[in-house]
Amino acid sequence: MESRENLEEKYREALSNYLKEQTEQALYQGQKYSRKTIEHKISPEEIISFHKSTLMDTYEDLPDEVLHSLDFLLEVMMGYGIAYREHQNLKHLQQELKSEIEIAANVQHTLLGTHIPKVKDLEIGAISVPARHMNGDYYHFVQDENQCVGVAIADVIGKGIPAALCMSMIKYAMDSLPDHRHFPKSVLESLNRVVERNVDPSMFITMFYGLFDPETHIFSYASAGHEPGFYYDAEKKEFTDLTARGLLLGVEKKTQYEQYEKYVAPGDMIVLMSDGVTECRTSEGFIERNTLIEFIEKNMHLSAQEMVNNIYKQLEKMQHFQLRDDFTLIILKRNV
Amino acid sequence: MEFQSCVKIINEWDIVAARQLGRNVAKELGFGTVDQARITTAISELARNIYLYAGQGRVCIEKLYENGKSGLLIIASDEGPGIPDVRKVMEDGFSTSGGLGAGLPGVKRLMDEFDLDTNVGKGTEIRATKWLR
Amino acid sequence: MNIMIDVKDIDSKATVKVKGEIDAYTAPKLRETLFPLSEQQNVHMVVDLSEVSYMDSTGLGVFVGLFKSVRSHNGEFRLVGLSERLRRLFDITGLADIIDINSNAEGGVK
Repeated sequence: MESRENLEEKYREALSNYLKEQTEQALYQGQKYSRKTIEHKISPEEIISFHKSTLMDTYEDLPDEVLHSLDFLLEVMMGYGIAYREHQNLKHLQQELKSEIEIAANVQHTLLGTHIPKVKDLEIGAISVPARHMNGDYYHFVQDENQCVGVAIADVIGKGIPAALCMSMIKYAMDSLPDHRHFPKSVLESLNRVVERNVDPSMFITMFYGLFDPETHIFSYASAGHEPGFYYDAEKKEFTDLTARGLLLGVEKKTQYEQYEKYVAPGDMIVLMSDGVTECRTSEGFIERNTLIEFIEKNMHLSAQEMVNNIYKQLEKMQHFQLRDDFTLIILKRNV
Repeated sequence: MEFQSCVKIINEWDIVAARQLGRNVAKELGFGTVDQARITTAISELARNIYLYAGQGRVCIEKLYENGKSGLLIIASDEGPGIPDVRKVMEDGFSTSGGLGAGLPGVKRLMDEFDLDTNVGKGTEIRATKWLR
Repeated sequence: MNIMIDVKDIDSKATVKVKGEIDAYTAPKLRETLFPLSEQQNVHMVVDLSEVSYMDSTGLGVFVGLFKSVRSHNGEFRLVGLSERLRRLFDITGLADIIDINSNAEGGVK
């Protein structure tokens, strides 16, 4: 580390060079010098003091007014010096905060981790990307002893850390559900009670829960105010909304949810998403659900996982790589 | 205690008087122009806090001699409302929002030592020292 | 902050007009302005959203909170002037079943 005296000497040199000859080269030295002084946390008032003493040593007959004016300038720069030091410290604090959040995001990732199960006759693809560090979206797969697979997709209203904390609670509530087969309707009803009791009154969760039985190929599902997914009918080559009515989790204590059923034929697909998918804003406005269908059709020849990856990449590009909301997309596809 | 002199802070002009006092003492002790400016800026901030939020109080300047070192001590005291959350006013970023205790982190950085005693409803005393290097 | 909130509060009849965008940045202001109104006994609160150009789910949270607060004070809560997009948001979330979003601004029911 260079000493303060050394830096003052350097300033004297650089300034003298410039006073001798006003070249761009000499100015460039000045710019390089400032990089060094910033690195050594030299404050603006000190630079002015370097400046003044250089002038005093170089010119004997300097008018007093010039020196006084430098004293005045030094006083004015004090405020900037304080602001500069504060800025340095805040920058440091921000770094700390950032790394803390990164650690929290890793913890969350581990807490909320889920494995995509292997299911007879069903191919599953899933992707979830947070808008910031922490994800307020959540998806989860469970497989019971009858090989039935349950899929949950949820979105906390709100983003960032509060949403993420809330999600961890949902995850634990789901883990502590009784072990028998998870009927969508009863899953949502018990989670609703947990959320209603434990979460801030202006925080809500939307959730879709589905259960696929690989023996009967029946997909039963229920929704708590969640963005409707799509159903693709392979025979008709047609997409329809996978509509299910139901109130958000956490609004009313005794909400009852309706359960729907659908027979999944070979080649059929179920597409589930968070509202981050349809709330993607591009320069031309919101992404319409039709645009999303076009994306799905374009990628239909791929595996379920490749499909969701590709669709995410395309939507990300459309938004110029800036996600406004957490993004989650799941595709379930019955093998032909 | 070698030497102490004080300025009462009642109106904005007293801030100038406190600065002047601080600068004179700093010069006598042999502080350079940059440190003089730091000391007077610290005095300004402390006196301004008294003027704006405590109504009135005083700023005293003391010369210190310890272990062959000499230094300048600022004591700013008032019988104002006190500072309810010292940790908060000592946080960076808070000062920009104004309000009681604004600028204290800046004072702390300008000086070598900083000490704050406050009682809500009773008042505040801040002691800040700069040592001659 | 890109939001404007006009409030007329006379004898527990609160008429509110919101203009601009309701998102994570403006929602706190909306909440702070409207919550005290919702805590009056028997309040009648009408919020006009016809000049809201964008609202995300954070805004939804504010309105659900307001609705619950008004209801617990034996009041009435209505939202008017919803755009197609907003209407869809309330439909999907099931909130249209519990919050009145179908009245006219003047108070009559369509």
